[in-house]
Amino acid sequence: MSLRSLLHERWRTRVSLLAAGCLEGGEQQATLLHLDACGECRREHEAALAMLETLAADPARDAELPVPVEFLVTRVEARVAALTRSRGFRWARLAYSLAVAAALFVVLPWILPPLVPPVVDRVVKRTVEPVAPIAVEPVAMDDAALRRVERTVAREQAVRYLSEAQDVLMTVASTPRSCLLEDRHLDLSEESRRSRELVSRRALLVALDDDSVASARLVIDDVDHVLREVARLDPCANPEAVARVQQQMEQDRLLMKIRLMSRELVG
Amino acid sequence: MEASDRELMGRLARGDRDALAPLMERHSRRVHRIALAYLRNVDDALDVVQDTFVKAFEHAARWNADSEVAPWLARIAVNQSIDRYRREKRRRASFEPLAEGDHHESLSSQLPSPEARASGSETSLRIAAALRSLPERQRAVFVLRHYEELSLEEIAGILEMRLGTVKSSLHRAIHEMRRRLQGLRA
Repeated sequence: MSLRSLLHERWRTRVSLLAAGCLEGGEQQATLLHLDACGECRREHEAALAMLETLAADPARDAELPVPVEFLVTRVEARVAALTRSRGFRWARLAYSLAVAAALFVVLPWILPPLVPPVVDRVVKRTVEPVAPIAVEPVAMDDAALRRVERTVAREQAVRYLSEAQDVLMTVASTPRSCLLEDRHLDLSEESRRSRELVSRRALLVALDDDSVASARLVIDDVDHVLREVARLDPCANPEAVARVQQQMEQDRLLMKIRLMSRELVG
Repeated sequence: MEASDRELMGRLARGDRDALAPLMERHSRRVHRIALAYLRNVDDALDVVQDTFVKAFEHAARWNADSEVAPWLARIAVNQSIDRYRREKRRRASFEPLAEGDHHESLSSQLPSPEARASGSETSLRIAAALRSLPERQRAVFVLRHYEELSLEEIAGILEMRLGTVKSSLHRAIHEMRRRLQGLRA
């Protein structure tokens, strides 16, 4: 490359930066003067400006999130919680293994000799002593422990119900698929079916009379109400009907409530 | 009073998961715009938003308390976008064996899916193809300048590149985009 073309290449870089709005002060003035004198660079500058103008019309520039932020927050929190649990579990497992290894190291030298008696002794003992019947004692569980198990199960059921409802309502709130059967309608057949299923299973899924999930009762009632609305939608739903459900969810801040309640129940 | 970004990052560094929601409320739209401009795929961009905040939580302790949060998140978003793009490129390459040396060009000029054709305008699709044709770092420079309107110094900081390299990358990107979008009008 000759010195002249090398110098010109530097001007071309400045011309691009000028078009991109990245030059200021003296550098900007010098490049503008160069444009007056150089036809090739002037054409490049005009072409770059035209391209950038075209780019300004790209819809990606002003794209909004296609789902509510709460949706993403819920997902990220779930992933972070899983991450924390797995980390904690890894450390706990390592600590446990080390503790067991240390205990065995200390205890084994004392207990091994009595556990391995001479072969003759073992044969004699086996012939002399009759095998004692194994006594089976019933496992006793006090009322408090039983109650704890019941509360845990009740909470887990409520969380599962909310999680399933959340999946359905997320789709309704974000971008339902277009219906192939009817123009400008939305395909909510799957969400409608799952809503009906959830509404009918609610009594079995959630023990709302249990004290441990009493705080969730209001949220679950709200969820149930919206699920009934979704269940009533046609499989090829009118966008206005869907918009009404979305509006109701937005007003109630339902997705956020589900998220917060699930976290509270999980503890 | 609302907590500042720095306070939220401090809480995140101490493992406080409650700091995630306000931080995401403030920054997820911007992170999404960066990922969408880079990847040109709505689903992938949403995944990158989530990955970015999971990474932010994981590495919050490494965040320098003197620096701003937004550029730090932008850096994670760009890196996550590049990672995802590479993974997708590898996945496609494993399904469609290509001739040596043809990968870059063939992947960048792939036709959009029927859904994308139906939903996107001609302009948007041509821009997407042109952007995909740029090398990874050049594309990142171009996206941060033209979609986020960041200064060259800010871009250099986010991408950990020298200012001169940012300038030459932007020039090359503009040159290539101009070549590819010739004749296209908004």
